[in-house]
Amino acid sequence: MAPNRGHTPGFLLRHKLLFGVLGACAILLLGMLVGVAILLSGAFNTAATEQHSAFTHFLLDAGLRYSVNANADDIEAPALTDAALIDRGRSCFRAHCVHCHGAPALARQPHGLGMMPIPNDLTESARDWPPAWLYYVTAKGVRMTGMPAWEFRLSDTDLWATVAFLKQLPSLSRAELVELAPLPPQTSCRSDDAATARRAESYDEDERGEIVLRQYACHACHQIEGVVGPDSSVGPALVDWPTRRYIAGTLPNTPDNLVRWIIDPAAVSPGTLMPDLGVSDAHAREMADFLFAQE
Amino acid sequence: MPNRAARLSCAITIVIALCGCARSGRNELSVPGGDAGRGRAALIALECGACHRIPGIPGARGTVGPPLDGFRERVYIAGRHPNVPDRLVEWIRDAPSVDPATAMPDLDVSESEGRDIAAYLYR
Repeated sequence: MAPNRGHTPGFLLRHKLLFGVLGACAILLLGMLVGVAILLSGAFNTAATEQHSAFTHFLLDAGLRYSVNANADDIEAPALTDAALIDRGRSCFRAHCVHCHGAPALARQPHGLGMMPIPNDLTESARDWPPAWLYYVTAKGVRMTGMPAWEFRLSDTDLWATVAFLKQLPSLSRAELVELAPLPPQTSCRSDDAATARRAESYDEDERGEIVLRQYACHACHQIEGVVGPDSSVGPALVDWPTRRYIAGTLPNTPDNLVRWIIDPAAVSPGTLMPDLGVSDAHAREMADFLFAQE
Repeated sequence: MPNRAARLSCAITIVIALCGCARSGRNELSVPGGDAGRGRAALIALECGACHRIPGIPGARGTVGPPLDGFRERVYIAGRHPNVPDRLVEWIRDAPSVDPATAMPDLDVSESEGRDIAAYLYR
């Protein structure tokens, strides 16, 4: 014991660490409550006509750049100067990109106008970003924007062809730019189910099922245990799947039958509203494995 | 501070009340002439729980048909028919006549029983 100097520090001082932690917790809790109150009062307007604050926009934009920089780091770009590849990329751009992004001298389609955040004109990023970044964003999409992941739709060749074309975009003349009007996606650079049939294999085995289910938008209509989504009630909930006896009320529930159903629902149950989503055998098996692994 | 607990519970009440407001987008499905109480009795008597999981029905943990929880929220019956009272009653009364390939049997349910059961599922 130290000798008593006739002075005992106050209760608050003796426990200053404890009070510091308690104070920090209280401030954090208060902040959370204020956040919840703003959310529940409806003061945060989700309308696409509202804009982000400049600071929010800066944060999101910086976040995108740092994320892409880190994640695209080990992607090796192939040679992108081949004329045929660039031409292929032009078809891809016209079939899938120009609707929302437009181009200089070419107005975007209506759905590309009212979006928040706005799909950017691609000439600037095409000029400034390394090919690996462009590939990464095209293949994986950007969450919380309207940018979808294209890697389950387009072959690797088509993804790189698109990047090859983007690299040419800033140097196109006005005459060349106005010729980029949209093409129907069915006729050119179409979604290639054969080329993307085994895309899930590029992901870790334990996350494949969930990723594949999301990449075919299953959770847009079904509640699925293990997939975060809109909790939709359009199709039946896919919970406790291994205990279910029938698929679609007619087909005994086995993994093979589930694969059959996913690949071609109307062949199993004519008149069903479950659409044929162009799921490959390999991807249907990933989905079935995921559902049959539910507890 | 003696009323701290009172203030806290007040704040929690407000938050819960606000949560309640946010959920007012609920649909208004109801079955004319259907009685949920009688529907519950009919579900038990007809042993619907042998094939379906049905909330509030003792022992209804069947896995042959799909679970019937949240049926009011469901957009379709059997993956093809719009989930509206009359179609649901029709389906409950005689499913195979609506969809010959279904594993759901015709249980000889009367019109009024069908309405009561639908009322229970929509409650």
